[in-house]
Amino acid sequence: MTDSSSFIEDDSSQSKLVADRYLKRELLGEGTYGVVFKAIDTKTGKVVAIKKIRLGKYKEGVNFTALREIKLLKELKDPNIIELIDAFPHKGNLHLVFEFMESDLEAVIRDRNIVLSPGDIKSYLQMTLKGLAYCHKKWVLHRDMKPNNLLIAGDGQLKLADFGLARLFGSPDRRFTHQVFARWYRAPELLFGTKQYGSGVDVWAAGCIFAELLLRRPFLQGSSDIDQLGKIFAAFGTPKPSQWPDMVYLPDYVEYHFVTAPSIRSLFPMASDDALDLLSRMFTYDPKSRISTQQALEHRYFSSVPAPTKPGLLPRPPPKAESLNEKPLDLNLQCGPVVLSPPRKVRRVMVNHVGFEADSQNVIKGGGNDKEHRVGESGLSSHIPMSMDLEAMFGYTAPRPKLNSVDRSYLKRKLDMDSEFE
Amino acid sequence: MSANFWTSSHHKQLLEQDKIDVVHPIDKERGLTLEEFKLIKIHMTNHIWKLAQQVKVRQRVIATAVTYFRRVYTRKSLTEYDPRFVAPTCLYLASKAEESTVQARLLVFYIKKMCSDEKYRCEIKDILEMEMKLLEALDYYLVVFHPYRPLLQLLHDAGMPDLTHISWGLVNDTYKMDFILIHPPFIIALACIYIASVLKDKDTTIWFEELRVDMNVVKNIAIEILDFYDFYRVEAVKGMSESSKGISEEKVNAALYKVTPKP
Repeated sequence: MTDSSSFIEDDSSQSKLVADRYLKRELLGEGTYGVVFKAIDTKTGKVVAIKKIRLGKYKEGVNFTALREIKLLKELKDPNIIELIDAFPHKGNLHLVFEFMESDLEAVIRDRNIVLSPGDIKSYLQMTLKGLAYCHKKWVLHRDMKPNNLLIAGDGQLKLADFGLARLFGSPDRRFTHQVFARWYRAPELLFGTKQYGSGVDVWAAGCIFAELLLRRPFLQGSSDIDQLGKIFAAFGTPKPSQWPDMVYLPDYVEYHFVTAPSIRSLFPMASDDALDLLSRMFTYDPKSRISTQQALEHRYFSSVPAPTKPGLLPRPPPKAESLNEKPLDLNLQCGPVVLSPPRKVRRVMVNHVGFEADSQNVIKGGGNDKEHRVGESGLSSHIPMSMDLEAMFGYTAPRPKLNSVDRSYLKRKLDMDSEFE
Repeated sequence: MSANFWTSSHHKQLLEQDKIDVVHPIDKERGLTLEEFKLIKIHMTNHIWKLAQQVKVRQRVIATAVTYFRRVYTRKSLTEYDPRFVAPTCLYLASKAEESTVQARLLVFYIKKMCSDEKYRCEIKDILEMEMKLLEALDYYLVVFHPYRPLLQLLHDAGMPDLTHISWGLVNDTYKMDFILIHPPFIIALACIYIASVLKDKDTTIWFEELRVDMNVVKNIAIEILDFYDFYRVEAVKGMSESSKGISEEKVNAALYKVTPKP
């Protein structure tokens, strides 16, 4: 206690240890089901994020979503999955202690000062798939894969977080709700209303994240479920029954105007052949023939050059607080994010424009004291746009769809009522 | 199937019988014997079962609730954790953990309807307070595996689907004992299949041999189950005053009285 009290002299109001162990620091934000604050674990000396779970006043006890997260995270211990360090009740509220995460993949993708080399992209995707493969091995579906649920630790490791929608998928005939995932990451079978699905839905979402790493913008930005399918079909062609025999039997199946697929090369002009091959396998329509996470990890994309960048060397955005104060480049403040590619660069550089969205899912990251982030090359000297995204050029980028409160309560009801086998 | 059981927290938490058959020091001080301890657990298992039938939940939820209940008392005393509150709360927590939530107010309602004894009655706030204590007592481990799924798979593999009904019932009864805290679920399933096949005169010797499991373990569980039925029948006869089958209510109440905090 002596060490810790000297530590927080400037912070005398909060000098008491929470649960005899944690030294409470600043508030990080508001989470899905309560506030999150930063703390120091006096037992290990590590920085942690503590989620305080609000209890509905004498209604239904420990929040259902929180309980689901606890249940699954207690079973999942892997370098690429967020660690639930501890849980304890304090003043009538349940508190969850997570390892502190500095950033998330969405911040990386959005930070126009960061250049992602093919090796960097490979590394981020590999860590994503490793975490996912571990979940699937344990029969856990994540069901909410998107860049801002992929957190990045101080040592550069990417970790899957937010298991509030995840669930066990043990018995094959179980029926689940299809209202999962943020829309842009939703697999076509979910959009067609399937109730019986498997790990393929997470693979599709991981494919979307892969594409987003390559493009530096969300790949398929549908504005409704119907539009989402339209966007998918515009990219990969309307599926023929021969490609996906079960499609026509799905509950919400509707016939779409037939379009043929442009070549995948034209969608991702900068990607290697191996990357394109893996991508197309992750975006296979029929979930039965879609590549599994384990197979994806064994794909030659990961063994061919360049090797995945070591996590510690990956480019990362500056800690959030700083990035808000000193926006490094105020290019094109008026006309929204612009996609730039300097000549002789095989990748695009995005110019920073928008601040980070304060997001409910985001709160257990942020802060941090990593001063050694690389400031990516800006491509300022000769910013000739090589490929650009019209939406990004001329307007705002649609805000990422999130589960709104109506969705959430609907989802909660659905999940609560999930009937099961027998 | 249960490829993931081996890496689960359930597997890591399996205990030896002699670690379970220990009366907590606080309860011991109050004169509770091991026999009485077991009796209370059987009685409360039945209580959970009856309550679950009222609120209509799946078998799995009941099994998980009973597992939580038994696991709690390998660590906590009956004196400090009143089993009459712990039991419904286990059902409440299990229903959430198994993704088919039952509202606390429903449990409160059915307990009032079911139990004439006022000591069983509780309010919503009792259940919610106990929920937090239970989570801590369980160290937040909530995933539990059960013999039901392996049972169906094994019976299918053995080509004996006609044994489903009887062995399913046997599996239900194994929760009146602590097997779920001691053995992997598929072993419990095998013991039940073994009993069922003997009862129905099915020759399963070759099938069991091919499984390459330790048949001694399977047979020992089978014997324990049969012993339990004998014990239960004797207790049921003694407790004739109770209209339905079951153990003597008097004995249970005497045991519960010992661990009830005196005002």
